Amino acid sequence: MSTKKKAAKTSKSARKPKGGAMRSTRAAMSVATSARSTVKERVAAMAEAPLAVCESDKDLQAMLNVLRNKEEPVEVRLAAMDSLATAAFSVIKFESCRNDYIATLREVAQDPDPKIRESALGLLAGEKDGFAQKKLLEGLQNREKALVPPEKALQLLSYDVHAEAYSVARDIVEKPPNADAKREALRLLAADATSAPLFEKLLRDKDELREIRQISASALHGLNPGKLQRHAREMLLDNSEYDDIQATCLTALTQFGDDEAVGKDEALLKSVDRFSAGKTSSKYKQSARRFLSKYGR
Amino acid sequence: MQNVATASVQSEPQFAALVDALAADPNRREQLTELLREDHLLYDQRGSATTVRMRGWVLLALARAGVSDAALLFVLEELDTGVDAYLVAAAARALRSYPSPNAAFAPFVMRALTNIRYHDELVSFEGYGEYAISSTGTSPVRELLATLAWLGPHARGALREVESLRAQRGGLSKKLLIDVDRAVEAIRDADQVDEPGTDTCCTLPSGLSNTFSWALSSRRGSEPIESTVFEDHEGASITFKEFFRGHPSIVVFFYTRCDNALKCSLTVTKLARVQKLLEARGLADQIHTAAITYDPAFDLPARIRGYGQNRGVRMDDRHRMLRTTDGVNALRRHFKLGVNFIESLVNRHRIEAYILDAEGRIAACFERMHWDEQQVVDRTIEVLQEKSDETTSEVSPGPADCPARHKTKTVSPIFGTLASLGVAFFPKCPICWAGYLSVFSIAGLNQIPYSPWLQPMLVAVMLINLASVWLRGRLTGRMSGFYLVSAGAFAIVLLNMGLGWENAAVWGVALTLAGSLMSALSGKNASQVVE
Repeated sequence: MSTKKKAAKTSKSARKPKGGAMRSTRAAMSVATSARSTVKERVAAMAEAPLAVCESDKDLQAMLNVLRNKEEPVEVRLAAMDSLATAAFSVIKFESCRNDYIATLREVAQDPDPKIRESALGLLAGEKDGFAQKKLLEGLQNREKALVPPEKALQLLSYDVHAEAYSVARDIVEKPPNADAKREALRLLAADATSAPLFEKLLRDKDELREIRQISASALHGLNPGKLQRHAREMLLDNSEYDDIQATCLTALTQFGDDEAVGKDEALLKSVDRFSAGKTSSKYKQSARRFLSKYGR
Repeated sequence: MQNVATASVQSEPQFAALVDALAADPNRREQLTELLREDHLLYDQRGSATTVRMRGWVLLALARAGVSDAALLFVLEELDTGVDAYLVAAAARALRSYPSPNAAFAPFVMRALTNIRYHDELVSFEGYGEYAISSTGTSPVRELLATLAWLGPHARGALREVESLRAQRGGLSKKLLIDVDRAVEAIRDADQVDEPGTDTCCTLPSGLSNTFSWALSSRRGSEPIESTVFEDHEGASITFKEFFRGHPSIVVFFYTRCDNALKCSLTVTKLARVQKLLEARGLADQIHTAAITYDPAFDLPARIRGYGQNRGVRMDDRHRMLRTTDGVNALRRHFKLGVNFIESLVNRHRIEAYILDAEGRIAACFERMHWDEQQVVDRTIEVLQEKSDETTSEVSPGPADCPARHKTKTVSPIFGTLASLGVAFFPKCPICWAGYLSVFSIAGLNQIPYSPWLQPMLVAVMLINLASVWLRGRLTGRMSGFYLVSAGAFAIVLLNMGLGWENAAVWGVALTLAGSLMSALSGKNASQVVE
């Protein structure tokens, strides 16, 4: 046998599936796009398909058709979307498929199925897609047009600081449709420099949910770290403040505080020392230990 | 009739209607260019995606109405630095409505192709604000390939690159290969132009420039912003007057949340390279540099410091990253910054770099397209030399954005050459002087007395010219002018005056003139277009 033939045989056998444990990506594509296979088989095949999905226009169109087809089971369509998204991660290999992929995502972003809509909008939002941003904003301004719940829309809009969502997010903080939407609106506003006063107010409001106050502390650290340190100090000196919020303040001062100023702040050091010795939560004690050890106590 | 300069349309459909009306009216088409200015009131408080839709619609209107020289810079800017599929596709289409193809466009088209090919997506030009949601429509890559086909043989310099697009395995979509073939065929088609390849490959059409200079006498004072307060990368406060007065400065604008790597990130990286060039010339102490953020509310000292550090920027007392803490609007007005905002966040900006003179006045600006680091350094050195050099300036009208573009004529080379001429042909004795006077009498100059003291004075002026050319050569790194002037002086002083070779005088004057002009022009190149 010639060397050439040997090499060809070796190569062919290497691609051959062994005992059904492996199959070629071509075979996986075939199963994934076949309506005759079971849902479970197709979903499993979709997970193997990304390597082949952009190899030929026929395969790509077959996969996009599965995604578009409202008659297909939702699990299969979602698996097709995942498979395409995984393939798109290889930007250079996916070059020839990208424009059909994005156009299809825009199409299914308005699908009757909410899971399909949410996933498609999520992928488009990750691309900072203008179409997705427009639809998400329209849904926040007019609930009848909403393609996803407000909290999801806000989360997706927060992927792009330039998405012109600050104004609508502020409105939602003012009149939240639900607690989740308020939380996501605040997370989005954490990148808005003009919202620092809002976060100061929420941070000091003892009637607010702990989570909201913690988000506010984190946002304030990003927008105006000096102000957070001032508030953190005052809150640590406040006997009526909650333990877990004080723990957050201690962490902020330990990690980001002005070492020189904090190290000389006897009132603050004494207060932390005293509280950590009393009946406080373990979380607070842990934060206090780190704080005090940093400043030599 | 609505005035575009002050138009205040509320909604996007109103804006689209305004653009359509301008495009349809031959007498108002030029006003479309005004709508491409980033700082236009119409873009105030619009988000980035809205701004993209609006600018894209203007570019498409230009594609229908025709791109003028004034609009061309905006179209090329989008190709040079654009990363949005819709805008790049619209700009590529608009370029094809320029009156004639030009080889200078090909590098812009190829650069756009490189920038956008991995972000290619379908776009719809059917109606305002439409997005492609099916496989119909066009795409930036398709539009760029069509523009290459329009350029035809003028894009010959890009032929190999275009051909390689076809050869790449797994590269462009098969659907686009027909567009590639069409472009290659058109580029190879020698019948489309009379003399393919004769037009200059890298110069823009006349009248188009991304660089503007202001003559010394026409510069606007910096008084309105002298009290503007900045905070630097270390958190130290400093006013405009304190940092920018007393020495020339190079200023660039950026913001850390800019998501176009071809703009802010590249600008700040280039500033770092400028600093290295200044260091290499020993000028880092004489010329200050500053990168000022457009987004001072978010770009706190730690952020701008990190941004600069990551891009290799030197940061010390003379070279700072700055955020405005007071007087941001005055700063915007003074520099006429090409930027607009939604709340405090930038929605769109152009590339802009400025050279300030020792009084803090704008001496030159480089805008929209990428600037060359060496060019900026050379021009700043010219500004640094302004105090020592005698200069006269001639001001010519520039584009609407800039009150004047300048042409500088350096006087010292002329004096130097005249001095050389005087020394070379100076009468050696009263009899020679009488001979000259008999010739002068024709021009009525026979009353000039014999002045033997004039010769050493002319030699002194010649030597001053020599020193001046040497200094300029050292600063610009181009010594060829100095060598020519030295050879000229050698010919005049030693060969002509010392050994009495009369022909040496003519050669000496010619060499001095050539060297002086070369020296003067080497610095002047900084104010010319490179792109």
